[in-house]
Amino acid sequence: MKARDVVLIGILSASITAGKLALSFVPNVEIVTLLFIVYTVTFGYKRTLLASLIFTTTEIFLYGFATWLLGYYFIWPLLIIITEVLNKRFKSEYAYAILGASFGYAFGIFFAVVESFFYGVAYGWAYWIRGLVFDLVHGTSNFIMILFLFNPLKNLLGKLKKNYYNMES
Amino acid sequence: MNKKIILVLIVLGISLLAFVGYKNFIVPKAVEGEKEVTIHIINDKENMDKTFTYNTDGEYLIDLLEEKKDELGITFQDFDFGKMIVAMLGYTVDESNNEYFHIYVNGEDATTGVGEIPLMDKDTYTFELKTY
Repeated sequence: MKARDVVLIGILSASITAGKLALSFVPNVEIVTLLFIVYTVTFGYKRTLLASLIFTTTEIFLYGFATWLLGYYFIWPLLIIITEVLNKRFKSEYAYAILGASFGYAFGIFFAVVESFFYGVAYGWAYWIRGLVFDLVHGTSNFIMILFLFNPLKNLLGKLKKNYYNMES
Repeated sequence: MNKKIILVLIVLGISLLAFVGYKNFIVPKAVEGEKEVTIHIINDKENMDKTFTYNTDGEYLIDLLEEKKDELGITFQDFDFGKMIVAMLGYTVDESNNEYFHIYVNGEDATTGVGEIPLMDKDTYTFELKTY
C-alpha cells in the first residue's frame, strides 16, 4: 500500500465521521450509506473496507463501547461488498438507491438479531418493533439522498481521484 | 414531471402508508379510563416478592410507574430507545453482573418497553430481577 492510499483512507474515514456528526441532529437521516457506496464505486472496495474499520473504531472513541458498535464492524463491510458486486453489473444510480433503501429498511432487524445474542430474543424483538419507524425514515431518506447525490458525488470524486493519483481513474 | 421526482413521491407515499399501518396494526393500543392492574416485583437476591394493586387512568405502563415511582422505589435511566428501569423497591441492578429487570405481561415475556406496554384492566405486570 502506498503512502497516498494511507492518507486517502484516513481522509475517507474522517469525512464519513464528519458527515455522520453533521446530520446527527436528524434521527436516522444519515449520509454514511451514500458515502460508503460512492467511495466503493470510486476508490474500490479495499480502500473503503479499511475506511469502514477506522470509522467504526472512531465511533467507539466517540460514544464508548456498546453492543451496537459490534454490528457496525459487520454491517458496513457488508454494504461495501454488496456495492462492489452491484458495481460490476449496474452503473445506474437507481440500483444504488434501491440498495441504500433496502439497507436502511433492514438496519433495525440486523441490529435486533445482534442484540438478541446479548439480551435475549424478547429484547431483540422489542428493539426491532420499537425502531420500525426509524427504519422507515432511514430507508426512505437513503433512497432520496442516493438518487439525487450519487451521480454528482461520483463525478466530483472521480475528478479528484484523477488529480490525486495523477492518472486515469 | 421529472422521473426521479415521481419516483420519490411514490416512495414517500408507500412510506406514509407503511407508517399508518405500523401505527394502526403493530403498536399496541392503549385503553382510556380507569383500570385495575397489578404490579408484581420479584427480587430473589434480596428475598423480595411484593404485589401492588392500583386503579389507574394511565394509558401505558410507564404512566403508572412514573406516578408510583416513589412508592415502588423506581429509578429510570434514559436511553435513545426509551426509558429503562434500573432500580425497583430501592434495589439498583448491578450492571457489572449483567442484572436487569425482566418484564412479563400476564406471565408472558413483554415484547416492548414500559413506554409501549398498554395498561389493560386486570392485567398483571411482573418485574423480575434476572441476569443476561
